[in-house]
Amino acid sequence: MLAQQLVNGVLLGATYALFALGFTLMFGVLRVINLTYGFTFSAGAFIALALTRQVGLNIALALPLAALGSGLIAVLLDSLLLPRLRRRPSAELDSLMVTLGAVLALYSLMTAWLGPDIRRFPPGTISATAIELAGVRVTAAQGLILAASLLLVGLLMALMTTTKLGLAIRAVAEKPDAAGLMGINTPRIAHLVSLLSGALGGAGGVLIGLNFNAIQPYMGESMMLRGFVVIIVGGMGDMRGALIAGLALGIIEVLTAGYIDSSLKEMVAFAILVAVLWTRPQGLFGRAVGQRA
Amino acid sequence: MTLPAWLDDLLWTYQTLIHSLGINGLLALAMYVVLACGQLSLGQAAFMGLGAYSGALLTMKAGLPFYLVLPASCVAPVAFALIIGVPTLRLSGVYLAIATIGLGEVLRSAYLNIDALGGALGLNGIPERAETWMIFALLALSLTALVLVGRSRFGRAMEAMREDPTAAAAMGIDVARYHLAALVTSAVLAGIAGCLAAHQSSFIGPNEYGFEPAVTILSFALLGGIGNPFAPIAGAWFLTLLPELMRDLPELRLALNGIIIVLAVLFLPHGLLGWRMRRTPEKLAGGAR
Amino acid sequence: MKRRHLGLLAAALIAAPAFAQAQTVPVGAIEILSGPAAAYGIAIKAGMELALDEINQKGVLGGQKIALTVEDSAGNKDQAINAARKLIGRDKVVAIIGPTLSNEMFAVGPVTNERKIPTLGTSTTATGITDIGPYIFRTSLPESDVIPVTLAKAMTRGVKTIALMYANDDAFSKSGFDVMKAAAEKAGLNIVTIDSFGSKDTDFSAQLTKIKGLKPDAVGISALVEPVSGVLLQARQLGFGKETLFIGGNGSNSPKLGAIAGAAADGLIVGSPWFIGKTTDGNPAFVEAFRAKYKVDPDQFAAQAYDAMKIMAIAIDKAGAADPEKIATSLGKVQFSGVMGPFAFTDHRDPATAAGVVVLTMQDGKFTILQ
Repeated sequence: MLAQQLVNGVLLGATYALFALGFTLMFGVLRVINLTYGFTFSAGAFIALALTRQVGLNIALALPLAALGSGLIAVLLDSLLLPRLRRRPSAELDSLMVTLGAVLALYSLMTAWLGPDIRRFPPGTISATAIELAGVRVTAAQGLILAASLLLVGLLMALMTTTKLGLAIRAVAEKPDAAGLMGINTPRIAHLVSLLSGALGGAGGVLIGLNFNAIQPYMGESMMLRGFVVIIVGGMGDMRGALIAGLALGIIEVLTAGYIDSSLKEMVAFAILVAVLWTRPQGLFGRAVGQRA
Repeated sequence: MTLPAWLDDLLWTYQTLIHSLGINGLLALAMYVVLACGQLSLGQAAFMGLGAYSGALLTMKAGLPFYLVLPASCVAPVAFALIIGVPTLRLSGVYLAIATIGLGEVLRSAYLNIDALGGALGLNGIPERAETWMIFALLALSLTALVLVGRSRFGRAMEAMREDPTAAAAMGIDVARYHLAALVTSAVLAGIAGCLAAHQSSFIGPNEYGFEPAVTILSFALLGGIGNPFAPIAGAWFLTLLPELMRDLPELRLALNGIIIVLAVLFLPHGLLGWRMRRTPEKLAGGAR
Repeated sequence: MKRRHLGLLAAALIAAPAFAQAQTVPVGAIEILSGPAAAYGIAIKAGMELALDEINQKGVLGGQKIALTVEDSAGNKDQAINAARKLIGRDKVVAIIGPTLSNEMFAVGPVTNERKIPTLGTSTTATGITDIGPYIFRTSLPESDVIPVTLAKAMTRGVKTIALMYANDDAFSKSGFDVMKAAAEKAGLNIVTIDSFGSKDTDFSAQLTKIKGLKPDAVGISALVEPVSGVLLQARQLGFGKETLFIGGNGSNSPKLGAIAGAAADGLIVGSPWFIGKTTDGNPAFVEAFRAKYKVDPDQFAAQAYDAMKIMAIAIDKAGAADPEKIATSLGKVQFSGVMGPFAFTDHRDPATAAGVVVLTMQDGKFTILQ
């Protein structure tokens, strides 16, 4: 049973990590708590749903298209909402507020348009059969999420550390003004980060939607609070930190529910958040991009 | 004195709404107190919950009269503020915001799991003790106190901390102390608001004090502005009336609510009431980081 | 009678108070029409309006039409109270149907009861609803009447041990769980474990793995249909098979269960006062009319609302006048046979009989009667 619980924990943690990746990128580089991130998560899932249902595309094709679509939505939203605020003394607060208003409107417009009901991918979109190995069961969707999280973290880290673009992004994260003076096109980098983060959010929405087979306009909202825990514990803007923190949170939650008391699951997650903030606000791994608390 | 029947009916019809205006005004002030010192602390919903639960229990279980319950309902929020204050207030900006939201969620989770508090069922049958005059007297009192504080040298110190905490510290302002004092004041205001709210709607439940109410209270202050204590109240009143004014558009109510917040932040950077309560000439805003 | 609420409170303050027009009987309803839980309110509104179409062909009180004003609560108790006060104070309704959730009723009930406006819950199943006061009624069977029937059925199939799961953050699920636990204890079932989750959770693997290790004969779940579907989908992934009987509370009693969980829901049993294939008087006609009007299948909430609207119409008619006090008196005496089956109130304003309760089982995404 312990082996299965550990696997459960890793798989749950992978969904947290997957959700948190784009969130932490946005936060680390643009220094903005962008609450519309949860919406790109829902949007990705719905785009993939439409593509598989109405167009009849294969999920392998629908997934990247959905990611691209939600990336573009993120760029559109961010360029409508954020640039005007960047120069204000209270930029942090104002962008929190403006994205809060926007996400409230977006979720309810989406619900008014598509209805509040839960939808699912057409049966057979992904194999539902579980593979059983030494008494431990894993489904294809779960394996896919785990692989995708690892792959995306690897790709993002490679992008950030080995390419010129990554260098530019890190420069913007560190010192936006100086980066501008050095000839980096800061607004373009900001758009690119929005695109990347939105695409990650959208991909996360598709994969997690596949796994739990429940797609609903508000699905992104319920992930948000866990997203906060992961990006804080992992360190804001730290991709590797988000992966480790996501996995750790998943394992801790599962073990709490499995061996102590399931009603404490949520409390444990937030108690960890507060404890980390009190002791190591820069995140457990201390490698956050840019300034500290 | 008897009111004419139609006026009595009208007041009865909008009684909860009128009470909400007063209570949300107090919550907006609780938010203002910390924002005015430059702290993005979002613990007001948690303080409110502590005030509501402790107040309701004192009324229902201990049978205390309301004039004792009301001040006593500040004890738990203030104690909580003092316990979390020192470690939490070292944080700044969004870190402080997230820490306070996390603490609020821990409390919400606790209410859900404590059987004496009814779990998700909450507490039912709380007697209606909060009178309209009481709510608005407390609001007026708090507002007056904050205006007086704002005009004093404390007000200048608060302004300095909001503009530049480092410089404020260099000028000899004990920033940590001010921040803790602001947090405690915020706890008192939110605790009273919670107690009043519990005693006007007969029912309270854990989900009234989670993440969503926390950001709603923040939006009161941001929409109204934080330059003077009248502004957050204006924001609270606007956002409290908005859903009632849009009763005929149920599908688009939440959407319009969100769009109005977006437009207000984008185009009214200093809030609905943007003036500052200052004697000194206004500094040039913009560019300052 | 739907007065345009022109928006400005200032205008409302100077506007003359509403007078009930002679030819219509104003009735109000408070339901969740927006936000994440809107699906319930929308189903209820559809059921009520379908019944109203039929009622108003003949009218009540000798030809008067019922004018129904449906207000949105967005699932928020303050907005629910504001809606109730608006309905009573400005629209002068003589009776109220709703609100949707038990939680909302606990907030709204004291207000309407104080004003002596008969208030009829159609979907409020928590314990203690009618204790609020003498003007609070409900047509929905409390869970405490339904669950024992379901458990008794399960025990005839050899169930001796049971694990209980519930969503601990909403009142509906918690109250259903309290009932389920008490009923299981009373029936002499051995409860092997109790686990909870959040109603917005999507992962239940830890709880299910633990339960699987304990090998209970049955798993009882009290939650809304979305998390129940998630539990079932994940249970199948974790290898729960036919040897475990899943027992749902009232929340599982929705056609959406089959739509979301598909084959994973097969075999689940649930007690219900209504189901789509019920052959009671008028039910086939109701289902057909509902499909024709809304292009979807009705669910339990729509069916209960349909009956409740008709019960209210009878009460108004029998009262002899559009007067709340008289309607409250005659409402308690209504004898009715609707799509749910025969109906009457107890002295405590709850449904008198649970005889109409049937135990359903899920097969190929549809509920059928369990023989």
